[in-house]
Amino acid sequence: MKRALAAFACLLAATAWAEDFKFDAAEFDKQPFEFGGYLELKADRSWLKRDGSFYKLNGLARDTLDRNTATLKLNAKYTQGIASLKLSAAAEQRRDQLISEGSARFDEAYVSFKPDPGFTLDIGKQALKWGKGYAWNPVGFVERMKDPNDVELAREGYTMLAADFIRNFADDGGELKTIAFTPVLLPVGAQTNHDFGQPNHLNVAAKLYLLYRDTDIDFTWLGQGSRGSRFGIDFSRNLSSVLEIHGEWARLQDVEQRRIDAAGKVTSEVRDATSYLLGLRYLTERDTTWIAEYYRNGGGYTESQLTDFHRVVDSGNSALLAKARQISPAYGRANAGERYLYLRASQKEPFDIVYFTPSITLIGNLDDRSYSLSPELLYNGVTNLDLRLRATWLHGGEHSEFGEKQNARKLELMARYYF
Amino acid sequence: MKKLLTTLLCLLALAPVPALSAPVLDGAAILQKVDRNLEPESYEMLRKLINIEPDGKKKEFVLYSVKKGRDKIVALFLAPQSDKGRATLRLGDNMWLYIPEVGKPMRITSLQSVTGGVFNNADILRIDYTAEYKVEAAAEEKDQYLLTLKAKTNEVAYDKLKMWVDRKALLPVTIECYAASGMLIKTLRFADIKDFGGGIKRPATIETDSPLYKDYKSVMLYANIKKRSFPDEVFSLNYLPRVEDLRK
Repeated sequence: MKRALAAFACLLAATAWAEDFKFDAAEFDKQPFEFGGYLELKADRSWLKRDGSFYKLNGLARDTLDRNTATLKLNAKYTQGIASLKLSAAAEQRRDQLISEGSARFDEAYVSFKPDPGFTLDIGKQALKWGKGYAWNPVGFVERMKDPNDVELAREGYTMLAADFIRNFADDGGELKTIAFTPVLLPVGAQTNHDFGQPNHLNVAAKLYLLYRDTDIDFTWLGQGSRGSRFGIDFSRNLSSVLEIHGEWARLQDVEQRRIDAAGKVTSEVRDATSYLLGLRYLTERDTTWIAEYYRNGGGYTESQLTDFHRVVDSGNSALLAKARQISPAYGRANAGERYLYLRASQKEPFDIVYFTPSITLIGNLDDRSYSLSPELLYNGVTNLDLRLRATWLHGGEHSEFGEKQNARKLELMARYYF
Repeated sequence: MKKLLTTLLCLLALAPVPALSAPVLDGAAILQKVDRNLEPESYEMLRKLINIEPDGKKKEFVLYSVKKGRDKIVALFLAPQSDKGRATLRLGDNMWLYIPEVGKPMRITSLQSVTGGVFNNADILRIDYTAEYKVEAAAEEKDQYLLTLKAKTNEVAYDKLKMWVDRKALLPVTIECYAASGMLIKTLRFADIKDFGGGIKRPATIETDSPLYKDYKSVMLYANIKKRSFPDEVFSLNYLPRVEDLRK
């Protein structure tokens, strides 16, 4: 009887094993049409800063602002032979105590032809992303600017014709293992890519990638057209199994900078600028990942230029305030200054809680010593569900970049469900 | 005469007798066979990776992988939906991760994990053992060989491996992975030998646990391992967003 019970127990255990670790590969057969996306719900509260320049410019007249945002992101791909159509759309609805508004757009909509693994031709709207930096990409010449506060945020692409040629020499045993060339044609007209720059230009850009001596190297270039010509270089390399180093350098010609002086006089200057970035990522023995980047924004405002702008806002003169409001998008953009530090520490699965990643991010303006500090808790232990709680404190003195923002602090809860 | 015979006998006794001495184990040859018995040089396959928490809760990932030569491998996430489209590439000691939302490949390191759980990137993007390790010692045990492997460079995830190999099948049974400090990082257990066709007969399940993740377990299940050749261009950063196109 005992033996029979033991045998039965073994059989049960074996069945449980088989059930636990079943893998039906047929479920994952390739389909010509694929569809997916996510639904994201976000609730945030901002504690406003009444003496901040951007509070005054935005005429808020309240102490807090509660906002709810729903975002639906849809991705679809249809493949037929060597051609495929890729669509990526986003619809967003935002509501707070002041406004309720919605928006919808295609981030990407393009057709790819891949007659050979070494050649691809893409036609349509697509989001190319160049550079090696996490928070900033000075060599990203044909893309919309990245938000360093949320680097994975989807960005709208530009309509273009892009090709990709790849040659791999890994088997040759030489120092050069891969070479890839990506030429781009980007038209700008009244209806097409109008926010890229001056209309009626067919812009030409290119990227040359090399994997040389275990180092990724890109040479990027954008010809004179809707924007001034520019060229750059970036690199990335693993120094050990726990340490990576990367950098970018870009020379930009004919960069226009509009500014306002303390007297309220608005001027425009066209000049050449050099931007660069140096960063590293380090994984400690305790599974903490550190990312540090130093960024020099050649097209940014100096500390005194930023101070002049905030003084104009503080003047209380309505005519000057109107001028400042007009020019404020340039001063209010993310990281409008010259020298920045990005520092992020994230701890993988502390206290043996898997899929739980707490992190803290600091973005500091090194010229005026103002900064934003964002602790974050991310949990993705439930399949296809990401939960994120993030707080942000903005700190800085009078007339400093982060000290004059609209918010003093912010708390945000986000749930994203993938389907 | 007696003296001559005695001298001859002594000389015979002292002379090496190759036929009677124990054969010297060629650990490098065993390791090479282990590599080829586990996978052909160029192939494609599907894997399911299951992370199991102490309370029994599971999280599953499905990856499509292609490999060429000793040290080139690409893996594409097919599931869950939140990770679909992510792709990882390994060329020797170099590793990258492509996340569609980020839109460009980022360098990653072998000790990180793209899936969380006990398997790290070096386990998920494993290349031939002979590409990363040299055999330091080989010994015979009852039904197994015990190979002690030492990493060829500092870039390799584990400094030392102890690999128990089935003598008959020349397939790994257990692998213990150690850090340079001598600390045991994890143990891999190979089970469920299955005939995948095309002459590929290997364990279909790898289970792992780690003293660093007490009571956690990760399992890797293999399916559809097929010999297939790929052009070199597939193993490049620019190709990562298109790995899906390789699937038939």
